[in-house]
Amino acid sequence: MAGSSTIQLRNSAPPLRATAESPVAKGILVGITLVFLGLFLFLPLVVVFQEAFSKGAGAFLRAFQDPYTHQAIWLTLLVAAIAVPLNTVFGLAAAWSLTRFRFRGRSFLVTLIDLPLWVSPVIGGLVYVLIFGAQGWLGPWLRENDIRIIFAVPGIVLATVFVTFPFVARGLIPLMEAQGIKEEEAALTLGANGWQIFRRVTLPKIKWGLLYGVILCNARAMGEFGAVSVVSGHIRGKTNTMPLQIEILYNEYHFAEAFAVASLLALLALITLFLKTYAEWRAERQLREASL
Amino acid sequence: MSITISNVSKSFSRYPALNGVGVEIQTGELIALLGPSGSGKTTLLRVIAGLEFPDNGGTVSFGDRDVTGLSAYKRRAGFVFQHYALFAHMSVFENIAFAFRVLPRRKRPPESAIRDRVATLLDAVQLTGYEKRLPTQLSGGQRQRVAFARALAIEPEVLLLDEPFGALDARVRKDLRRWLKEFHHRIRLTTIFVTHDQDEAFEVADRVVIIDKGVIQQSGTPNEVRKNPANDFVRDFLDLRQ
Amino acid sequence: MLQEKISHKKSRKQALPGFGLTLGFSLVYLCLVVLIPFSALFLKTASGGWPHFWETVTSPRVLASYRVSFGISLIAALVNGVFGVVAAWVLVRYRFPGRRILDAIVDLPFALPTAVAGIALTALYAPHEWLGKFLNPLGVQVAFTQLGIFVALTFIGLPFVVRTVQPVIQDLALEVEEASACLGANRWHTFRRVIFPALLPSILTGITLAYGRAVGEYGSVVFISGNLPFKTEITPLMIITKLEQYDTSGAAAIGFVMLAASFVILAASNGLQAWHNRRHGIS
Repeated sequence: MAGSSTIQLRNSAPPLRATAESPVAKGILVGITLVFLGLFLFLPLVVVFQEAFSKGAGAFLRAFQDPYTHQAIWLTLLVAAIAVPLNTVFGLAAAWSLTRFRFRGRSFLVTLIDLPLWVSPVIGGLVYVLIFGAQGWLGPWLRENDIRIIFAVPGIVLATVFVTFPFVARGLIPLMEAQGIKEEEAALTLGANGWQIFRRVTLPKIKWGLLYGVILCNARAMGEFGAVSVVSGHIRGKTNTMPLQIEILYNEYHFAEAFAVASLLALLALITLFLKTYAEWRAERQLREASL
Repeated sequence: MSITISNVSKSFSRYPALNGVGVEIQTGELIALLGPSGSGKTTLLRVIAGLEFPDNGGTVSFGDRDVTGLSAYKRRAGFVFQHYALFAHMSVFENIAFAFRVLPRRKRPPESAIRDRVATLLDAVQLTGYEKRLPTQLSGGQRQRVAFARALAIEPEVLLLDEPFGALDARVRKDLRRWLKEFHHRIRLTTIFVTHDQDEAFEVADRVVIIDKGVIQQSGTPNEVRKNPANDFVRDFLDLRQ
Repeated sequence: MLQEKISHKKSRKQALPGFGLTLGFSLVYLCLVVLIPFSALFLKTASGGWPHFWETVTSPRVLASYRVSFGISLIAALVNGVFGVVAAWVLVRYRFPGRRILDAIVDLPFALPTAVAGIALTALYAPHEWLGKFLNPLGVQVAFTQLGIFVALTFIGLPFVVRTVQPVIQDLALEVEEASACLGANRWHTFRRVIFPALLPSILTGITLAYGRAVGEYGSVVFISGNLPFKTEITPLMIITKLEQYDTSGAAAIGFVMLAASFVILAASNGLQAWHNRRHGIS
């Protein structure tokens, strides 16, 4: 499947001269590309940082002294700290069961895992409201027992888990398929049990693919907006994550403050891109070496 | 350790790889499973190893022990894979020591004993001094021998080789063939190897089992088979038509 | 004769351990996170009754939102189709300083939170800011119009076409292009008759993926759109509006329509990928 949540094997040999475009054509194409990517990608990025510092560095730092912003940052970190490990365990289990064994219904499961990528994040939040919300299936029971899921942290965690669970699995599945199971089988004949095989043979092989998936999962978990927006209730200081806090600040015309918080997430995005590229490169190299 | 295979069938999503196969192998024999690609020979080897399980009814026995349902790691069958399947991220030493490292704690020998055993095994395959190398730093023939040593580390009662020399060039192949025959003569371990190369089978093995389309066509010493091919397939495959 | 009781199962299916454990865990997880919540969607839609369902999903305001969400997403996806191919070609075939950085940045829409993208784009095109102050006097208003939605959806879908087409360009056998040149075709002809047909399946796949993503997009759009009823409201926003009005079955109804649309797009994408694989000889 396409998109950057799967690792692709790429070689980077420069092309031969015999079939090249004229320099003019090349220039035009490069120019178009630079304008297109510059306009749609670079500029927005630059805007975030520019606007964050538009009132000076002092105002930038002051933006982070707001207690509500503190709570938002804290909540974002908490949600990611729960959702990412959960989804990592799922990703490992799913990848192991889908690539090491043959069984009927495999491709259906693979499609099911891709579901959150196709569905609007708002729907991702909606389905949990339909179960746990006041008018939902479990609504009355939850109210009786004084358990809050919607408009509280558990709901946010659930919605985030839904939106981000494919990433680790999708990072691992193509990698583990390409690597094959011969080394695991060899370990089996040498007397290793399941856990030993996983820890000593599989894990070292997949560690870069795993890192790749975890990085993407984390980036999405911290940045999720649509799904969380539906379940959170936007209660300041209680159920606001960073993206929601950005929305509140922006709607109240605290532009510099909104961009200050946004710049933090943008910085995270850049770090994510960097780490992801590195992990992808290492994983490709490992794959190439193993097939020598 | 003798091996008895009885009535083994195996299908892969409706493709029948093995069809009611039965074979008896005596202790210490060196057997070649010979056949064209797709004949089922590798599948049979994997069933013996415990990497595949036969469909209902078939049995595999080691000696008088029924191992049909036993998982591979309980069978003590050493397996050498076609492309060696060495652990790419481990050194030669760690590859061979793996079998010791995964033993349950009470059975695991101390580090010094492991070092000794690995050294002995490396010596047996003539790779002393290569302990620290990584598989990517070895030639094909060297990787092959590490795979051997690794399989021998579990002190198997049975040795199974899947096209052991298939991925090597002609000269190395000849050398290793000779080495295998001599090795087997020394150790007398029940050994089965899979090949599609009849010269190899006839030169090395005590007995040849010819298989095609999941059915055993003939089983006998190289001389017997050459003198009395059982059917047209054997005749054609061995190019014995006059 | 002693029999090992522990793992002695006749005709056990799988050699490697852990099948039951990992598959079981995965299935339970999927049930809890995906299947049960989504069945709630179906049931809630059904329980609202057909008249309410029909009334909700065909109300004028919602219909207008379909035009916005599905229509503008299509245009954005097509634009990405064109420029994305150019970008993919340049990134694969040419060498110039900064190429690697440019290549990495293509994934920015994946990594950047949608809300951040949303406010950044709004700031970029708002009347007195950045680009807005140049475009407005020319009569081109981007922020709070459908044009703004188009910009946001193009941003969101950008990586899909580029990343889908790049590996295909990489795998193009140069010999085929050389053969074409030897036979007298100039570069443009070679592109039109040899290269482009080879790329077409992946281009269409990329466009479909971008479309599917854009249709459901919320965060990057709601800021720049202005959310004017009948003009710049997107369908996901309609779902939220219904929820705020405590009309959960109405929200579920619209959600159902979106889900159905997503499945159609997904099926189209799978079909295209199958076509792509057949073309390239992958089984």
